[in-house]
Amino acid sequence: MILYLVRRLLALAGVLLAIAAVTFLIFYVLPTDPAAAACGKTCSAERLADVRQYLGLDKPVWEQFADFLTGIFTGRTLGTGQFAVHCDFPCLGYSYENSLPVWNLLMDRLPVSASLAVGAAVLWLLLGLGAGVTAALRKDTATDKALMVGAVAAASLPVYFTSVMLIYGVIRVAGLLPYPSYQALTDDPLAWASNLLLPWTALALLYAAMYARQSRGSMIEAMAEPYIRTARAKGMPERTVVVKHGLRSGMTPILTIFGIDLGGLLAGAVITESIFGLPGIGRLFYGALVSSDQPVVLGVTLLAAFFIVVANLVVDLLYAVVDPRVRY
Amino acid sequence: MTTTASGAAPEAGPEAAPEAAPAGTPAKDVAPGSSPWQLARRELRRRPAVRVSLGVVLLFVLMALAAPWLSALGGWSPDEFDKAAIDPYLGGQPLGSLGGISPEHWLGVEPVTGRDLFARVVQGAQVSLLIAFAATAIVVLAGTAAGIAAGYFGGRTDAVLSRLMDLTMSFPSLIFMIAMLSVAKDVNRIVLMTSVIGLFGWPGVARVVRGQTLSLKHREYVDAARVGGASSWRILTRDILPGVSGPVIAYTTLLIPGMISTEAALSYLGVGVRPPTPSWGQMIAESVSFYETDPMYFVIPSVFLFLAVLAFTLLGDALRDILDPRGGRT
Amino acid sequence: MTKRTQLALATAVVAALALGASGCSDPKKGANSGPSAANPAAANDGKTLGGTPVKGGTLTVLSNQDFAHLDPARNWVMPAMDFGTRLLYRTLVTFKAEPGKGGSELVPDLATDLGTPSNGGKTWTFTLKEGVKYEDGSPVKAQDIKYNVERSFAPDLTGGPDYAAQYLAGTEGYKGPLDGKHLDSVKTPDDRTIVFELKRPVAEFSQTATLPTFAPVPQSQEKGTQYDARPFSSGPYKIETYDRDKKLVLVRNEHWDQKTDSVRKAYPDKFVVVMGLKGGQVDDRIIAGEGADASAIEYFNMRPESAPKVLPKPEIKARLLAESQGCTVMLHLNNSRAPFNDPKVREAMQYAVDKEAVITAGGGPALNEVATAYLPPALSGGKQADTLKIPASGDPAKAKELLKAAGKEHLKVSLAVSTGDKGKAEAFQQGLARAGIEVVIDTVDPGAYYDVIGDLSTTPDMTYTGWCPDYPSGSTWLPFVFDGRTIKDKGNQGNYAQFRDEATMKRIDEINAMADAKQANQAWIDLDAEIMKKSPSIPILLERKPLLVGPNIAGAYGHPVWTGTVDYGTVGLKDPSKSQG
Repeated sequence: MILYLVRRLLALAGVLLAIAAVTFLIFYVLPTDPAAAACGKTCSAERLADVRQYLGLDKPVWEQFADFLTGIFTGRTLGTGQFAVHCDFPCLGYSYENSLPVWNLLMDRLPVSASLAVGAAVLWLLLGLGAGVTAALRKDTATDKALMVGAVAAASLPVYFTSVMLIYGVIRVAGLLPYPSYQALTDDPLAWASNLLLPWTALALLYAAMYARQSRGSMIEAMAEPYIRTARAKGMPERTVVVKHGLRSGMTPILTIFGIDLGGLLAGAVITESIFGLPGIGRLFYGALVSSDQPVVLGVTLLAAFFIVVANLVVDLLYAVVDPRVRY
Repeated sequence: MTTTASGAAPEAGPEAAPEAAPAGTPAKDVAPGSSPWQLARRELRRRPAVRVSLGVVLLFVLMALAAPWLSALGGWSPDEFDKAAIDPYLGGQPLGSLGGISPEHWLGVEPVTGRDLFARVVQGAQVSLLIAFAATAIVVLAGTAAGIAAGYFGGRTDAVLSRLMDLTMSFPSLIFMIAMLSVAKDVNRIVLMTSVIGLFGWPGVARVVRGQTLSLKHREYVDAARVGGASSWRILTRDILPGVSGPVIAYTTLLIPGMISTEAALSYLGVGVRPPTPSWGQMIAESVSFYETDPMYFVIPSVFLFLAVLAFTLLGDALRDILDPRGGRT
Repeated sequence: MTKRTQLALATAVVAALALGASGCSDPKKGANSGPSAANPAAANDGKTLGGTPVKGGTLTVLSNQDFAHLDPARNWVMPAMDFGTRLLYRTLVTFKAEPGKGGSELVPDLATDLGTPSNGGKTWTFTLKEGVKYEDGSPVKAQDIKYNVERSFAPDLTGGPDYAAQYLAGTEGYKGPLDGKHLDSVKTPDDRTIVFELKRPVAEFSQTATLPTFAPVPQSQEKGTQYDARPFSSGPYKIETYDRDKKLVLVRNEHWDQKTDSVRKAYPDKFVVVMGLKGGQVDDRIIAGEGADASAIEYFNMRPESAPKVLPKPEIKARLLAESQGCTVMLHLNNSRAPFNDPKVREAMQYAVDKEAVITAGGGPALNEVATAYLPPALSGGKQADTLKIPASGDPAKAKELLKAAGKEHLKVSLAVSTGDKGKAEAFQQGLARAGIEVVIDTVDPGAYYDVIGDLSTTPDMTYTGWCPDYPSGSTWLPFVFDGRTIKDKGNQGNYAQFRDEATMKRIDEINAMADAKQANQAWIDLDAEIMKKSPSIPILLERKPLLVGPNIAGAYGHPVWTGTVDYGTVGLKDPSKSQG
């Protein structure tokens, strides 16, 4: 088990390194000049050279990459003199646009994205698994068919369509909620929830539909396994059979996609965050792209990859808990 | 190692591609001796929803193929402005009700430009489906090749390819696609979008194929061919490939709606095709701000996108039930 | 007249245009020019909405984005300049707080007068008022202004105007005060006197001194690039909290003294800027005007698609500011290479372009007018000349004919526009297609647009930008846009057409030398017509700046200098008790 963990963690570091290298190459080899973007509208050649030097862009790419990597562990100092900028451990670079270390920006936005992703996840798990399991247990009944038709339809609606319709219906026409503007959970839990209600719903509808389809399938499969029959034959109450045996093995495949989905959403809800004006990581990323703020783009990419890789690891570890057949 | 043998489709960004995972449905009672195609036809006759989806899919494909002729039939080219159809003083609102639907403009016009919505939706179908199909083709070809190679040769090849699959699947694909599309400027956007979308999709197929290949590898007829001195190439193409084709076809059909959604999401975010070329996602993106003042403009491309994704999903579900009763899981 | 000042101001305006914050305003025209008379959006021209505000309350500003920079050494984008200099810091000189023509008048701000030139205009001396204080109660000193001027040289403090480097003497190799070096050409003989030594005579240095570079920053407050997040206030408000890209809250600077300030009224107790909202949602909220939104104004332009929700409704239209501007927006043709090095092809372009479609893409005739000459109306007697008399939608047949004569019947050309102008680019595309010209559109991020089109190695065949005069004189306009001697390899601006024409350059020098302003004015108009014949660029349109304000807003008008954005120094509330938060 320990050996397995060590191996997985090493692999995780390797994956992140590879992703960092690829991202770095893409953004630093392509013909966009972050120095020119930072320099401003009237930028003399001399000033451009100064800016380039200040940003460390005059060095060869591999050296910049090495600086970036060491910066993550040791922190870096950008510029010289009394007001040079210190970017402390873990330094993911420095945003010229926001005059802040990328790490600080990411940590500032993470609560928003996490609120969105986790809240939506709770909602879609409840809705999706509920619908999926219900449909599976009432296989081929009218309930099953209605649920599955609803699910396939909801899964085909793009999130931006659902979002706009929710804004129109709930805010503009019914006036039930104010226009969303993010409030921190710690400031005002009620405002936090009411502002996030629509984005949660928009995301959750989409994922719940997916999960309903998936969980119905695996539930039906699980319930057809021989040990379920055995359990029933032993006279176990149906409720116990479903919950203890059916759900447990039926949910294993769900766990996998859930890990990936949640990990991906933590730093990748670009569309939802931009439609609802949520100042999360996705919007930070989109804004950084528009203003050629490459350190932020790189930082978000790495963070997103980190979440996905960690989610995968956690899921694999959880298998041991959920599925008694899995051992490491 | 891991037990992550999921049937999860390419994670084209969970947000972007709503339909990702093929839902498992139980094995059907398959009459022995029927070919998959006979089964497919029988199944199609049995399920009206599938017939309708197939109809919709065919209609859209035809529409995409015949786009230039269809817009000629409507009398407007997709890029042609019609100033007579809008009111410039009201921010370019279409004249007339329902977004300017009239015998002149069958689906109304785009506000501001007065471009014909029918012509644009039809041409948008061409672009959206072209990108989705081409990206799917890339994914399926690359994924099948990699999956067969990994499964059949095993050992080091398998190790390397499997690591590569893990690595690719760890990429935050939507974020990466947006970034790559927004930095690349002077290239054909359709080719670029296709390859970028394709780049992140292949591991899903590869995993399915790898698993399938592993199980086929030690069947008697493969062993017999090997003992009989057949070359690896021959075995791969004659014995293994036909064996994996069923699940691959089912999986492919289920990939398409994800690809369509991904293209739409990227275009929605403004990193898609270049103006004036329309695609459904691009049209929806442009129309979002008009949803209240000109709802038809927003609804029309959305309905097309919705129907296309829905139809491909239903069709894929049906094909999977028939061709790959175990839902792609190994 | 000083070129750099206009250049500085005008570029800022142009940049604001590219960001979608279009235009600067031209108060002189108002309702007397032809089309605006019937224009539903022109009703509030030169007016102050909502009467005189009552002191107190919270004024909300709804924005789709964060400020580019609030650090006075880096603040050079139009609405941010208005916001910064009206609320957070004072400059040596500033513009009067008045709608219409009065707004372009200079008034002393930190200084006691508009500055005293000596040494033939090469030395400028300003004396500071007494009793001007920072937010901590310490006095504003001349040394602090010198310090901020020096900061504008620092390569880390990017984004700001560079004209200090262009004007001041002895700045070669100077890289700002962050490493302890100072400039000798800015002298501070005592705490209240500042002397600028210039390279050459600059008659309009008073104008220059309105820019945020001439705001004070005490050295003790220096935080390098971090200063951007918390500028130290010398104005009527100070920053309470600033959450980048989310929210900025300003509260009163208790040490600001109304008696020292003839411009700012500082009516509200608090300013709250909410950022990162969707443009359409900002419009919807202000139109609805419920709760705190009743006391809100918008930071950026109303979206054209909101026009149907505003223009047909008198009670909402009454809350729309739409000052027209003095800028002409043009399609610049790249004269330096084929196909636009051929004057016949360029002339054909005049006929091929469909200005009407471009105007519709820009929100329609309510918010734009067709431009028929280069000089904006304010510089040519209130109405633009129309020498070519081409219909607004163009004359493709004539264009085809001209192209045939030039032997170029099928052209394929590139056009770069900033992202927000995509719709207009498509309007150009279809217009030119009618004459057989194929256009490939490149949309460039607003931040990078001027880098791309200002670099002669990357600039495409056509670019789309505007140019604004700083004050009503042709000398602030034609020489910047069409004098071939201003072309630079990198950072080229103004003459985006790369138009090098001996006759034009000669005439520019002659007119600049004219002593009689009236005669010179007519000469500029004539030169405009001459250049039109050579068609280096195509004048396209004149824009307005549409901004909605909430029903509880008072004292709101579009300031002519700050691109017709609301003057933040004098805006306030009708009933402070109705504002929340």
